[in-house]
Amino acid sequence: MSSQITEEFVLPSCSGTAFRVRKGQRFRVVEHEGKQVASLMFFNAQNYKEQFMAEFSGGLNFAHPERLGSHYRVTKLYSKVPYENVMLTVTENEIGDHFLGTHCTPRMMEILGVPGHRSCSDNFADALGEFGLTLEDVYSPSVLNAFANVYLDTQGDGRIRIEAPRSERGDYIEFLAEMDVLVAVSACPDDQTPINDHACKAIQVQIFDSPAG
Amino acid sequence: MALKVVRDIVVPRCTGKTMRVDRGQIFRVIEHEGKQVVDLTFLNAENYKEQFAAESSAVLNSLQGIGGYYRLSKLYSKPPYENVMATVVDDKVGDGARGGERAGHFMLCHCSKRLVEHLGAPPGVRTCSDNFADAFREIGLQQSDTYDESIFNVWMQSWLSEDGSVNFAPPLAEVGDFIDFRAEMDLMAVFSVCPDESSPCNDFQAKAMRFQILEPEGGVGSDA
Repeated sequence: MSSQITEEFVLPSCSGTAFRVRKGQRFRVVEHEGKQVASLMFFNAQNYKEQFMAEFSGGLNFAHPERLGSHYRVTKLYSKVPYENVMLTVTENEIGDHFLGTHCTPRMMEILGVPGHRSCSDNFADALGEFGLTLEDVYSPSVLNAFANVYLDTQGDGRIRIEAPRSERGDYIEFLAEMDVLVAVSACPDDQTPINDHACKAIQVQIFDSPAG
Repeated sequence: MALKVVRDIVVPRCTGKTMRVDRGQIFRVIEHEGKQVVDLTFLNAENYKEQFAAESSAVLNSLQGIGGYYRLSKLYSKPPYENVMATVVDDKVGDGARGGERAGHFMLCHCSKRLVEHLGAPPGVRTCSDNFADAFREIGLQQSDTYDESIFNVWMQSWLSEDGSVNFAPPLAEVGDFIDFRAEMDLMAVFSVCPDESSPCNDFQAKAMRFQILEPEGGVGSDA
């Protein structure tokens, strides 16, 4: 597909940013160094109350008559009730599974024995501040944790298992915006668990113009 | 600890409701007819923006070895609050009293308009979203200002396969089984008695549910 990169930047390790993508544009979240999770929130750029509903999008993709995906591999990203619109479509995804669930938070760092350690909450607070939003305005901590290699146990309490990402430098996931979208991305600062292979790294973002025609 | 019942109601099938629970009181969900799911969330009664976050609670419980997506011990509010809103103090079904491969609850989502549309239900079929809209209206909130997708599905026997498929089975809980939540702050419990009759979630029949508020015999705080 012939299309040009209109914007490209590297998000430094342990930081967050937010950017707008117009309806019809595509963007890629790229492994800049490899084995690094990028946590993603999405908002309708015209109505910030319409927010991506990560944990339910898995169920909606699975329940779709065309079986669009599963809890770990979504194709359509839906907004929360009462909207339930398709906000974005995943157009390229060679890695396959990602984790739809919570990002890391101050409480999680405290539980991990490192109170005060930087978390995705801090990155998102920084990123959203540029657009006049605070964490109070975000309804759910559930996000698309791109490249996260996290699964639920199928039995017992349903605990999570965290392993290092399978993704290497240059791997990416590509999205098509189905509406004007505000994207917030956090280069996950967790070096306590295997989620980033115990080393926090940078993430690259590329935004493309609509394909010709 | 001796408990006395201070409120006792049966909530009709296919409806939603709110109940205030003061700090120290117990909110008890009881199977009135058996094999029925209740979709439950909590708000801080003093600040409705502080809402229960089920899926982050699942991860925070998992990291402490006290729960996961199918059972919780501590119910946390969303960031930036992340306070323990309620503690599960009695959950015999979750502890294995009725057997089952899993603890038997589900910390994910409820049925919505788009979900039943995907599943081929006729337009206008009632969903938990409708029940939650009614329940939130009781306390002056609109669904655009709330997040009721991330909830505690009490007795919902749903789980994810390794490939991310979503599975459904009838609840393990029978008539009289209950789960107790102790309020760690003044709470508004908001819930839906799930109206789904198209899946095994409620064993193909939506039923009523019973709810109680209990407190220590000497009053809240006497147990401290």
